[in-house]
Amino acid sequence: MIDVKNLSKSFGDHLVLNNITEKIEKGEKVVIIGPSGSGKSTFLRCLNLLETPSSGEIWFEGKMINAPKTNVNKLRQKMGMVFQHFNLFPHLTVMQNITLAPVKLKLQTKEEAEENALRLLERIGLRDKAGVFPSMISGGQKQRIAIVRALAMNPDVMLFDEPTSALDPEMVGEVLELMKELAEEGMTMVVVTHEMGFAREVATRVLFMDEGVIMEQNTPQEFFEHPQNPRLKDFLSKVL
Amino acid sequence: MPILPLSIFDDLAGNFYATFIEKDRYMLFLQGLGNTLLITLFATLLGIAIGLVVAIIKVYCAQTGRLKIANAVCTAYVAVIRGTPMVLQLLIMYYLVFAAFPDEMTLLIAILSFGINSGAYVSEIVRGGILAVDRGQLEAGRSLGLTQGQTMKSIILPQAVKSILPALGNEFITLLKETSIVGYITIVDLTRAGDIVRSRTFDAFFSLISVAVVYFILVMGISWLLKKAERRLAKSDRR
Repeated sequence: MIDVKNLSKSFGDHLVLNNITEKIEKGEKVVIIGPSGSGKSTFLRCLNLLETPSSGEIWFEGKMINAPKTNVNKLRQKMGMVFQHFNLFPHLTVMQNITLAPVKLKLQTKEEAEENALRLLERIGLRDKAGVFPSMISGGQKQRIAIVRALAMNPDVMLFDEPTSALDPEMVGEVLELMKELAEEGMTMVVVTHEMGFAREVATRVLFMDEGVIMEQNTPQEFFEHPQNPRLKDFLSKVL
Repeated sequence: MPILPLSIFDDLAGNFYATFIEKDRYMLFLQGLGNTLLITLFATLLGIAIGLVVAIIKVYCAQTGRLKIANAVCTAYVAVIRGTPMVLQLLIMYYLVFAAFPDEMTLLIAILSFGINSGAYVSEIVRGGILAVDRGQLEAGRSLGLTQGQTMKSIILPQAVKSILPALGNEFITLLKETSIVGYITIVDLTRAGDIVRSRTFDAFFSLISVAVVYFILVMGISWLLKKAERRLAKSDRR
């Protein structure tokens, strides 16, 4: 589904991603872990071209998305993204946050989009928040709504960029729970996170990134119980 | 023996009569007020339109590296407008750029001059407001598949407007008062009307103070409207 070939990215002289080649299949739940500054967020952000690769190719559903002629907007509609800081639109109500993109892009009528949004809100138990502004709800609720906002576009893959890192500890659970549900429904997911429990439980594959390369990857069980790379061993000893 | 205070009151009444009633001079004030409001209103609208376009071009160029030529034009425009006095710009428009225009078009020239001038200042205010919106908002919009333009219109600008409203209000108040120089190109605005009446009645008190009071009330009115607008936009901030 996503095919990354020889991807490199540098900011000025600083090489953040160093010649990464990786394939993500439909239905996979790939969790990426690694120390800060390892390039994992940049890697994720390259997948939907929020960062422009310095070199290499990124293919999504048979199209090379960083080719100059490709309509990025069209492809991004199929790649939902969830950010560390939620990035809900503060001037719009929860309902408007969810319906804005499907309606503006003429994928759904306003009525369809609102019906769909209410169904999604119902599912996460926040139907009563449809009319309120983001400033009036908790961080955990914000992030779950941000997830639902991405889901409203019916994406084929969901990208999560440290979705629980900005949350108060007691709110992490509700967000991870929703992500787990998504995984069980078969959503293809790429998740950058520090939640090792989530990686262990939900991932089909765990990647360890450091210094701009994928140093090691494996099934969660092997990854956590028999790490090979000394840097990964060192990292795991610090976080587990 | 005449009593001094009474004669002052006599004078006052007489001067008041001469300033406003005699020869229907209040009509001159009203006509002046009309021109002041007309120029301010349309120059404001023009200034907002120009300012928005210039700001968006500059931000777009800074973010994507495209529209370089348009960006250079905008930068030059802002530099020239900010670098020269408003009166001079008005005179240049009247005596050089639109010298061939008939006299009936003078009001239009004034509107254009003030609009073009205001646009330069508004563009910098808007640009600052756009840059102050968290970058994550742009990313969230784009990641949903919205285009740069759609994101700007539905997500960035509405949030920018909220933060630039006080500065924008300042600009419009300045603009209103700055129109008092249109007398230079033969337009009778509120200030010019007061000055004409002063020269006819030889009484500076009523003619000038009454004009000052009207400006003051107008500015209070604008301030009140802005406060109302600010409160409306702040409704998403309530916790």
